[in-house]
Amino acid sequence: MREKRNLGELFAGFTGLAFTLLLSFGLVIGLIFILSRAPGRTIYYFFVGAFTNKYYLGNMLNVAVPLIFTGLGISVAFKSSVFNLGGEGQIYAGGLAATAVCLALPAANGFLGGLTALAGAVVLSGGIAGLSGFFRMKWNTDEMISSFLLSSAVVLVVNYFITGPLDDPKNNLLATLAIGPQYGLMRIFPPSKLNVSAFFALAAALLVFLFMYRSHAGYEMRMCGLNREFSRYGGINVSKYLVLPMIMSGALHGLGGGLMVLGTYGATIEGYSFGMGWNGIAVALIAKNNPLGVIPAAFLFAYLDAGAKAAMLNSDVTFEIAAIAQSFIFYFVTAQALYGLARKRRRA
Amino acid sequence: MTGNSPFSIPLIHNAVDIMTPFLLAGIGGLFTELAGMLNIALEGLILTGAFFSIVFAAATGNLLLGILLGILCAMALAWMFGAVTLYMRANVFITGLATNLFASGFTIVLAFQLFKTKGVIQFPGIPKLPALVVPPFLQRIPVVGDVLFGHNVIVYVTWAIVLLSALVIYRTPFGLRLRGTGLKAETIVSLGLNPRRYQMAGILISGLTCGLAGAMLTIELAAFVPEISSGRGWIALVAIYLGNKTPWGIFIASFVFGMAESFSNYAQGAIKVPVDFILALPYVITVVAMILYSIFRHFRARG
Repeated sequence: MREKRNLGELFAGFTGLAFTLLLSFGLVIGLIFILSRAPGRTIYYFFVGAFTNKYYLGNMLNVAVPLIFTGLGISVAFKSSVFNLGGEGQIYAGGLAATAVCLALPAANGFLGGLTALAGAVVLSGGIAGLSGFFRMKWNTDEMISSFLLSSAVVLVVNYFITGPLDDPKNNLLATLAIGPQYGLMRIFPPSKLNVSAFFALAAALLVFLFMYRSHAGYEMRMCGLNREFSRYGGINVSKYLVLPMIMSGALHGLGGGLMVLGTYGATIEGYSFGMGWNGIAVALIAKNNPLGVIPAAFLFAYLDAGAKAAMLNSDVTFEIAAIAQSFIFYFVTAQALYGLARKRRRA
Repeated sequence: MTGNSPFSIPLIHNAVDIMTPFLLAGIGGLFTELAGMLNIALEGLILTGAFFSIVFAAATGNLLLGILLGILCAMALAWMFGAVTLYMRANVFITGLATNLFASGFTIVLAFQLFKTKGVIQFPGIPKLPALVVPPFLQRIPVVGDVLFGHNVIVYVTWAIVLLSALVIYRTPFGLRLRGTGLKAETIVSLGLNPRRYQMAGILISGLTCGLAGAMLTIELAAFVPEISSGRGWIALVAIYLGNKTPWGIFIASFVFGMAESFSNYAQGAIKVPVDFILALPYVITVVAMILYSIFRHFRARG
């Protein structure tokens, strides 16, 4: 009986989501008709463009990789009722840390050096986020605001390193010196930029899921997320779980940034990760903070991004149309009224 | 400008100008906050007001009309944000992000359609905002002259809005019910009133003030720059919390931000420190202020 109701709820959830997507896509199509002089062509490239060749398809999947990491980072924090709004700075700093380690070890073995670089990214970004958690634990400083402020400052400091001490004068882009070729992650879908970090992202989602739902610490974290006072009463060390989720969240962001540098860019380029932090929040909320749900949610975002790129290259609209499409999905994806509608329809 | 006066303190004078958008957005956001809703959308609302007020001002040739239409556009976006959140029962955090994303995408797409550029759009024909000019002897009074005189009209309108907001929030039935909605929505229901109506009012007020804040940004510059709001909505949100959710607190918090940014503008010319570090200064100062404040509260609660 109970199983059946759960299935029904799940079904309503899916139809609700489908309804949301249809509504958002409908609005995007309407917008394209207003903005584009060749609406048919634009619509074709926006929705199908990402699948027309291996290059677009691989790059689309590659865009999803950092989104999986930021989405996971946010879902770990939100599931524990700790709010990390500093994702933008944490992913950006992660890339810089990985680059700096690689530049400091120009002759190291690719595998071990790469691991060290990622460790650097994890430590730096985890530390930045952990600081906000620490202030919260120690003096009850609102971690949501402090993480955002710290991240805004961190973005500027990273910019300083990109244009200052680590600048590559030969590169036309504002970018750091390129890291050694031995650090480049293996490309798995040429000619696109998709690389083995995609497997790391999937593994990370699985590991975070196992940690949150199958481990003792994960259980305590979720309990603190549900009700901190009750958890304290139940003997859980609640102050520990103000800091730990923040550190994990920052570490996952840093890992995402570090892998972007190793796998895709080979250097830290100014603004390379901008928007990934905010989109990570959206990805996590669409996935209802479920680590496994983060994977399809990230792909949805990557799909919109790739569609807008294809439409921009092959038709007459600007790339920012992707931001509008994403905003439509944001607007409706958590709208309970739409899901209620789907539920009612089913009952009738 | 008071730069030519030997007694003026440009640091303070500029701080009063710089703080105005923070203050406007913060006061508007306060209404939403008191109604129990987190208003992440301030940033996008400022951007919308900034874009449309200058575009309409240029199109109509009338500054006041342009600003009013710009405010109206910001309020329309605020209404959309409120409608989806309240009537379709969506998560306020994610609809707020959506509003920011929509504003940033929409202004650029529209700018590209209208002006065929995604960069800076200059409006050289825009008239200047009228400023309060007083006799030099008044302007030269240290601090007072810098704070009180020589600013543009939006600065003074903002002060009137702060005063009016304090009256509305603490001295009217509307304000009482608005605060009641945030404290316990059930009490408003028990009075036979609809709490959502107060929340929507709070959101629309934030659209109004953010629209004006945006108008000040573009019209002072006589140009629209993509993402010109550049984090001001977020700083305003911080000011609401730092200001302990009171109009006067927000006033002081905004002034602190204004001083920090004014100082960093000054330091860029005077001190040999990388620009990025100086730009990071307002955030660092704020985070330190926040931590010190919470330490103070922590020990006061104990002792």
